[in-house]
Amino acid sequence: MSKTVLEINNLETFYGPIMALRGVSLRVEEGQIVTILGANGAGKSTLLKTISGVMDPEKGDILLDGKPIQKQDPDRIVRAGVAHVPEGREVFPFLSVAENLAMGAYTRSDTDAIPNDIEMVYDYFPILGERRDQQAGTLSGGQQQMLAIGRGLMTKPRVMLLDEPSLGLSPILIKEIFEIIRRLNTEMGVTMMLVEQNANVALHVADYGYVLEIGRIVMAGEAQKLLASEDIQEFYLGVTGETQRGQKRWKRRKTWR
Amino acid sequence: MADGSAPGTLDPVTFDGCATVASLFQKRCRENGGRIAHREKDLGIWKSYSWDDYYNHAQWAGLGLARLGLERGQVVSILSEDRREWLYVDMATVCMGGITNGVYTTDSAAQLSYLVNDSDSVFLFVENDEQLDKWLEVRDDMPGLRKIIVFDRDGLREFSDPLVMFFDDLIALGREAAEEAPDRFDGEIAAAQPDDILMLVYTSGTTGPPKGAMLSHSNMIFQITAAMPSLDVHQSDEQLCFLPLCHVLERVVSTYVQLGCSVTVNFSESAETVFENLQEVSPHTFTAVPRVWEKIYSTVQITRAEATPVGRWALDRAIRTGMSKAQLEELGKPVPPALMTRYRVWEFLVLRNLRRILGMDRLRRGGTGAAPISPELLRWYHAIGVRLYEGYGATETSGVATFNSDQDNVMGSVGKPVPGTSVRIAEDGEILVQGGHVFQGYWKKPDKTAETIRDGWLHTGDVGRIGNDGALTITGRIKDIIITAGGKNITPAEIESRLKFSPFVSDAVIIGDKRKYLTCLVMIDQENVEKFAQSRAVPFSDFASLCAATEVQELIRSEIDAVNQEFARVEQIKDFRLIDILLTAEDDELTPTMKLKRSFVEEKHKALIDSMYAA
Repeated sequence: MSKTVLEINNLETFYGPIMALRGVSLRVEEGQIVTILGANGAGKSTLLKTISGVMDPEKGDILLDGKPIQKQDPDRIVRAGVAHVPEGREVFPFLSVAENLAMGAYTRSDTDAIPNDIEMVYDYFPILGERRDQQAGTLSGGQQQMLAIGRGLMTKPRVMLLDEPSLGLSPILIKEIFEIIRRLNTEMGVTMMLVEQNANVALHVADYGYVLEIGRIVMAGEAQKLLASEDIQEFYLGVTGETQRGQKRWKRRKTWR
Repeated sequence: MADGSAPGTLDPVTFDGCATVASLFQKRCRENGGRIAHREKDLGIWKSYSWDDYYNHAQWAGLGLARLGLERGQVVSILSEDRREWLYVDMATVCMGGITNGVYTTDSAAQLSYLVNDSDSVFLFVENDEQLDKWLEVRDDMPGLRKIIVFDRDGLREFSDPLVMFFDDLIALGREAAEEAPDRFDGEIAAAQPDDILMLVYTSGTTGPPKGAMLSHSNMIFQITAAMPSLDVHQSDEQLCFLPLCHVLERVVSTYVQLGCSVTVNFSESAETVFENLQEVSPHTFTAVPRVWEKIYSTVQITRAEATPVGRWALDRAIRTGMSKAQLEELGKPVPPALMTRYRVWEFLVLRNLRRILGMDRLRRGGTGAAPISPELLRWYHAIGVRLYEGYGATETSGVATFNSDQDNVMGSVGKPVPGTSVRIAEDGEILVQGGHVFQGYWKKPDKTAETIRDGWLHTGDVGRIGNDGALTITGRIKDIIITAGGKNITPAEIESRLKFSPFVSDAVIIGDKRKYLTCLVMIDQENVEKFAQSRAVPFSDFASLCAATEVQELIRSEIDAVNQEFARVEQIKDFRLIDILLTAEDDELTPTMKLKRSFVEEKHKALIDSMYAA
């Protein structure tokens, strides 16, 4: 019986008068990769920001290993075990790769284990090892993404929140990064919550998925089930049904089943 | 102005001197000329179209169709959402002596081919690329079609097919024809006979395939004649057209009431925007199905729950005062001056605003029909100052058969027969109707017609009773009557409409035929139940998990328990299940007006039903 690492109940988050999350409930089990799919403006990043404490919810609970963490300061949430790998990497550009990784370990007290973990990150991302003394701002987009994930790993998180790791990367790099995400999950047992626009790769790496539309979850299920759903196929995977005309402009009505 | 003749006589019925819809249409267009007939929203802006546009387009489309080979008595099918072209083509066909047949946009390709073939349609109008794809999918099954005409070019610029043309090309063709023979259209209008069929309306076949009910010019003229004097509709009125025009109710309201009184018809953008459009248009009369009235009521209930305590208090007091006044009026008793004063204050402070928010500030009369409505809901509307009246009718009675009106309203009944018609109750309780509005029979199905019209009476299939006041009350459908294992006859409609009064219940189906006790399947109102769950911090993700939540189950149970209080023991619901799939109009279980279809529900959710009797 797996253990629930992250449980979210009826979360409501506002931007001023705008309700961005309209009652989101979900759970992430230990060792799972859970993906959140949704169009632009659906509330995916808001959800991650609310979990990591960057934003405060108006209502609802966020339970990490059963303990409420909502409305706490981000640093306490990081210490509690949530690593947020933000959209657009956000590495420290003027620090070196090694320093960036050390920043990730800032909250840790087991200083002895840190060099080991840095080596572990270099194992997974050899290119970072080669460029350990290079300023992070001079890395390519893909390398920065790797660094951001590595920096997240350095906190030894209970759950890692990944916000669009595929953003702005070439297909080959996306494949590479997701391969590593999968390895981190299977080899290290890192629990992950993955927000993605690229539904195809996300559903292939994830165990479970939720579809968020205008701040509300409209569909939930095993990744395999979502992949097979006609709505997901048409709206997220871009598979359009064959028509006699050979082109199709209209969309089917979403039923989410 | 009306000289509605008694049923059975041979004099044709006339309205305003016209015995056919075609001649009435011509007369109205000439009288009204540049006045606004229709409004339609285009990219967010309301645009107006005149009676001249109506007439010209009908003429051009009609003559265009004639060029393409339309002959009198042939059928033209229309597969489109409500829009002005729908009515242009309808009138074009009718004036040219053809027969119009509407197809629901929610119908599948297979259903389309059945309807086109069964009706022997020679032309098919489709709204856009989406509907055209339906035809393309089954084109080989419909050899009888001569041309497919598309209203919207969007997304089809590259498309060409010898059988397909666009509406503007048809209009161009018709303009040419009109220049060559300017009198042709008027000649065709003059040739119409009162007994000519002008439309087919397919009835949703719960048993067997759908049947096309044939309605004639005189049926519709009779309907206008009989209903108009008591409907209190004026030339300056605005109406909102949003129910499918394939349905006889919307067609009567948007086409024939309009021809009767020259009102302006505003087309709603889509099914999702009806309530916004209602606010924008603020119609003077509004006819809808109970589901719409229920939805508006639940929106107010939910808004109330979210309001400030003062706001809530004021609304409750205002409605209570309105309720006391409405109760006295219902009983025909005078309203005491003190109550009247209080009512005026609340009217000024609260009710007026409430109606404005709902888009009902100009509303003189609301109408409801096509499904049962709970009397409590009617009273609530009267309390807030919306005069909502229930009517009854069927496709086979060309729309309205009985109705309540301002002068004569019996709450909870569907009112009295329209003037010049008779209604009686057969020995088995079935409602029988006679009059000029009774249809001409089912298209190509004389055996079905003979089953329905027997000894000169239309057998409606509904059961009901007539009170001492002469008002008809419907209790349900004859084939829906539940006979429990204990031998008790129960008409489920009464219980169901009571359940639907709950803001959390969208629709319900009572089960129990040949069973030990009654149970029911409930379709919850997604929006309101989600709000409930959210305010109680009940976690849910998708619709199925919402339905599975214990608190939601408890909520529905308490709603059912409340309804059970009002019924005798054998009529009480012992168990229930929620339908945890969000149904859409494309699903077999729902009618295009979003009612649950009993037979389909019973079949599709058999396992769920059986689980309630497993014990």
